Amino acid sequence: MTRSRSRGWAGALPLLAFFALVFGVPAVALVAGAFTAQGRPSLANLAQSLQGGYLVAMAGSVKLSAVVALAGAVLGTFLAYAVVTSRFTLLREAVLTASGVLANFGGVPLAFFWIATLGNSGVISGLVGLPSGALYTFWGLAIVYLYFAIPLMVLVMAPALDGLKPQWREAAANSGATAWHYWRFVALPVLAPAMLGGVVLLFGSAFSAYATANAMVGTVVPLVTLKIASALTGDVLVGYENIALALSLDMIVVAGLVMAIYLPLQRRSSRWLR
Amino acid sequence: MAALTGLEPVAAAAAKPPARPRWWRGLVFALAAAYFLIPLGASLWYTIHNPATGVSFSAYGELLTAEGFARSLLMSLSLAAATIVLVLLLALPAMLAVRLFAPRLRPVMEVLCTLPLVVPPITFVAGLTTSLRDGADLLAPTPFWGTLIAIQDPGFPVVLVLAYVVLVLPFVYRSLDAGLRTMDVRTLVEAARNLGASWPHVLLRVVVPNLRSALASASFLTLALVLGEYTVASLLGYEPFAVWIVTVSGSKGQLSVAVSILSLLLIWALLLAVSTVFSGRKKS
Amino acid sequence: MFTPRARTAGVIAALTVVTAACGAAPSSQQTTKTAEGGANAATAASAADFGGFDKLVEAAKKEGNLHVIALPPDWANYGEIIKSFEAKYGIKIESETPDAASADEINAVKTRKGQDRAPDVLDLGQSFAISGAKEGLFAPYKVQAFDKIPEGQKEPTGLWTNDYGGYVSIGCDAKKIANCPTSYADLLKPEYKGKVAMNGNPTKSGSAFAGVYAAAIASGGSFDDIQPGIDFFKKLKDAGNYNPVETTPATIEKGETQISIDWDYNNAAYAPQMSAKGLDWKVNVPTDGKYFQMYAQAVNKDAPHPAAARLWQEYLYSAEGQNLYLKGFARPVLLPSMTSDGTVDKALAEKLPQVEGTPEFPTPEQVDAAKAKLASGWDAAISG
Repeated sequence: MTRSRSRGWAGALPLLAFFALVFGVPAVALVAGAFTAQGRPSLANLAQSLQGGYLVAMAGSVKLSAVVALAGAVLGTFLAYAVVTSRFTLLREAVLTASGVLANFGGVPLAFFWIATLGNSGVISGLVGLPSGALYTFWGLAIVYLYFAIPLMVLVMAPALDGLKPQWREAAANSGATAWHYWRFVALPVLAPAMLGGVVLLFGSAFSAYATANAMVGTVVPLVTLKIASALTGDVLVGYENIALALSLDMIVVAGLVMAIYLPLQRRSSRWLR
Repeated sequence: MAALTGLEPVAAAAAKPPARPRWWRGLVFALAAAYFLIPLGASLWYTIHNPATGVSFSAYGELLTAEGFARSLLMSLSLAAATIVLVLLLALPAMLAVRLFAPRLRPVMEVLCTLPLVVPPITFVAGLTTSLRDGADLLAPTPFWGTLIAIQDPGFPVVLVLAYVVLVLPFVYRSLDAGLRTMDVRTLVEAARNLGASWPHVLLRVVVPNLRSALASASFLTLALVLGEYTVASLLGYEPFAVWIVTVSGSKGQLSVAVSILSLLLIWALLLAVSTVFSGRKKS
Repeated sequence: MFTPRARTAGVIAALTVVTAACGAAPSSQQTTKTAEGGANAATAASAADFGGFDKLVEAAKKEGNLHVIALPPDWANYGEIIKSFEAKYGIKIESETPDAASADEINAVKTRKGQDRAPDVLDLGQSFAISGAKEGLFAPYKVQAFDKIPEGQKEPTGLWTNDYGGYVSIGCDAKKIANCPTSYADLLKPEYKGKVAMNGNPTKSGSAFAGVYAAAIASGGSFDDIQPGIDFFKKLKDAGNYNPVETTPATIEKGETQISIDWDYNNAAYAPQMSAKGLDWKVNVPTDGKYFQMYAQAVNKDAPHPAAARLWQEYLYSAEGQNLYLKGFARPVLLPSMTSDGTVDKALAEKLPQVEGTPEFPTPEQVDAAKAKLASGWDAAISG
C-alpha cells in the first residue's frame, strides 16, 4: 500500500514540482503584495476589496460566470452530441477543430464581431429592431461570452460522448428502455463527471475574462477583472496595484468555494464508475 | 477503440423513427451555424466593403506580405510545440499515477489544475514579473541568475513556454481526465503489467493509443491557445504571432479586424491539417 | 520510470542540465556603458557632460539602437518622429507594444532591469512620471532647451519633462450627424441617442478620465470636485446617449461610435484617415469644459542604450521634433517659446483645433483625489 502510494507521488512529482515553481512562486508574490499596504504588512487591501464597488464587481462577475457556465454547458453538450453522432467525419473534424480555435478566441476582435452584428449600427440590429444599447448589458455580454464557452464545452464533452458505448444503448433498448430512460439512467450519469468538469472550466474561463468586456461594455457591467486591469495596467490609477492583487486573491477564494461545491458532487457522481 | 467509430449503431438502435434524429441534428447545426457564422460574416463584410471604395481584399494582402509574418508565426508554432510536449510529459504520468496509485491525491490535482483558470492572465503576469525581478536580485550571486536571464531570451523565450504550460493545464487536465475515465485504465494497465510490460511500454503502447481522442483534443487546445495568446506575451515584451498581428494592424480599422479573422482561419486550417494527419495515421 | 534508481538518475540529470544552462557571472553585469568617448553615458545629465552635442551624437551612433515602448504611430505623429530620427542619425529604433499603457511601461522598466530588452525612454501620463521619479526609476537629464520649458512642466533636476499635450475634445462624424455637438451640454440632446462614446473607460484610459474631469468643469464642478462629472455621465447613460464601446478606428468606420470624447490630437488624427474612407470627422473642443493635460518624457536610469536615449530626448525637444508633434495636432510644450522666437511652423500651428484662453493645470494632489473619487464612484454611477 505504501509502495503504491509512493509510486503515485513519484509519478505526480514532476508536475507538482513544476507547478510549485512556475505558479507557486508568482502566487506567493501575489499574496505578499495583497497583504502589503504602503510597504507594510496589512489587511487594509483585503478589507477594501470586499467593500462597495469592489464587492459589487465581484458579485457581478460571479453572476455572469455562473450564467455563462450553465447556459454554455447545456448548449455545448447538445452541440457536442450532434457533432459526435453525425455521419460525416469531416464535419466532426471541422467542428472540433473550429471549437479549439473559438474556445481561445476573445478580446477586442470578439467584441468587434458582436458590435458589428448586434451593436447600435450592427447589421442584424436594424433587421431585428433591437433597441439602442441592448448589446451593452449583462445579457448582451453573456451572449457574447457564449461564443467561447460553447466551443469549450464541445471540446470537453466530445471525448466523453465518444466513450458512450453503443452496446449500452443496444442493451438498454433490449431491456425495454425508451430513449428517455437510456439518457436518464445510463448516459447522463456516465457523462455527469465530465459535464461538471466542463461547468467548472466554463465558469473559470468566464470569470477571468476581461478584454472583451473592456472593449465592449466598459464598466456598464461591473466585473472584478476590469477593476484589476484598471489598477495593474492602465493610464489612470497609480499605486492601486496591491488592491488589484487583493482582488485576485478574492477571485482565487471564490474559485476555491466553487471547487468546494464541485468536488463532493464529482465524487458522488463518479461513485459507481470504477 | 470501438467507441470512436461506433457511430452507425447508435443511430440505428434508437427506438424512435430514424427521421427524427436527423431532423433534430439539423436544427442544432443550423442554430449553431447562425450563432457562430453571422458575427464572423458581419465582420468579414466590414473588412472587404467600404462605402467609398467598394469591395476590395487589400486588407488581407497587406497582412500576408507585411514584414515579420513568417518570423512571428514560426516563433508561435515552436512555442506551441514546446508547450504541448512539456504539458503532456508532465500531466499524463501524473494523472495516471494518481488514478492508479494515489486516489487521495485526486482532489489536490483537481484544485491545482483549476487554479490557473481563475487567476486572470494580468495578475499571473504581475506575479511572474515580480518573481523574475526579485529572483534576479536574490539569485544574482549564484549561477542560477544566468538561467533566469536565459529563459527570458527574446529569440526563444522559455519563460513563455513555462507560463503557457500553466495556462493550458486546466484544459489539458479536463481532456485527459475525460479520456482516462472512459477507458478502463486500471484493468488495461494491470493486464499489461501482468504480461510483463515495463512502465514505458505500458505508457506508450497501451495507454496512449487508447487516449488518442483526448490527447488530440488537448493538443489542439494548446496549439490554439498558444497561437492566440496575447496578454502574457505582450506584457512580458515578446512578439509572437498574436502580438505581431496587433502591432502591424496599428490603427487601421479594416486591417485590424481582417488580421483577427485571418488568424482565426489560419489557426483553424493548421489544426485541421494536423488532425487529418493524425486520423490518417490511425486508420487501424 | 518508477524504479528508485531511475528516478534519482533523472533528477540528477535534470539538475545538471539546469546548472549547465546558466553560469554567466552576474557580477560584471553592472558595467555601465562607459568608455564611449571617455564619458559615462549612463550618468550624463546634459549634453555638456558628453563634451558637447556632437560627442553625444557620436556616442549614440556607436550604440546604434534605441528601444522605445508604447508609442503608437498615429499618436501625436510618433510614426513620423521615429522615422525621422532613424533617418537623421542612422540609429535603429525598436518600437515595442505600441498600445501599452503607462503602467505597463513602468513595469517593463522594473522587470527588465539589467537586460538588453529594457526600454530606454518612456512617454508617461503625468501621475506615472511623478511616481516613477519618486521610485528612482529615471535618470536626470536636462535637454539643451531645458530652460525654455515653462516652470511646473518639468521636474527641476530633469527626471521628467512634459513633451506635448492636448485638450479634451468631441469628435463627430459629420456625415451621419446633422449637428455636431460643441459642448458638454449638447451631448445630452436626444438626437445623439446611443452615439456618445469615449476612448475606453475612465478608470483605465487617460483620455476618458480627462473627459470626466472636463465634464465636471462643464457641470459646475472644479479641479477639486469631480463629482459633477460623474453625475453628468450618469445623466448621459440614463438618457440612453452613452455608448460604452471603446472607440477605435474600426468602430468609427463601422458607424458605431459616431461621437467620441478623446484628446484633440487623437480626434484630429482620425480626420484624414476617415476622409479616405468616406467619413467626415470633425473635432471640437467643448466650449463649457476645457481640460488640458500633458504627457511626460523620462529616461530609464538603467537604459541599455543611454547615449541614444539622451539623443532621443534632445531630438524631441529640438524645433524639428516639436514641430513634428505639432504636425500630429498635439501642442508641444515649447510652443510658447517657439512662437515668440519664430521657429514654430506657422501653417501647422494654425491647423490646431481652436481654443480660447490659456490652460490651467490641477495640482498632482487634486488629480490624485479626483482619481480616488472616480475609482470609488464611477462604477455605481454607470452601471446603476
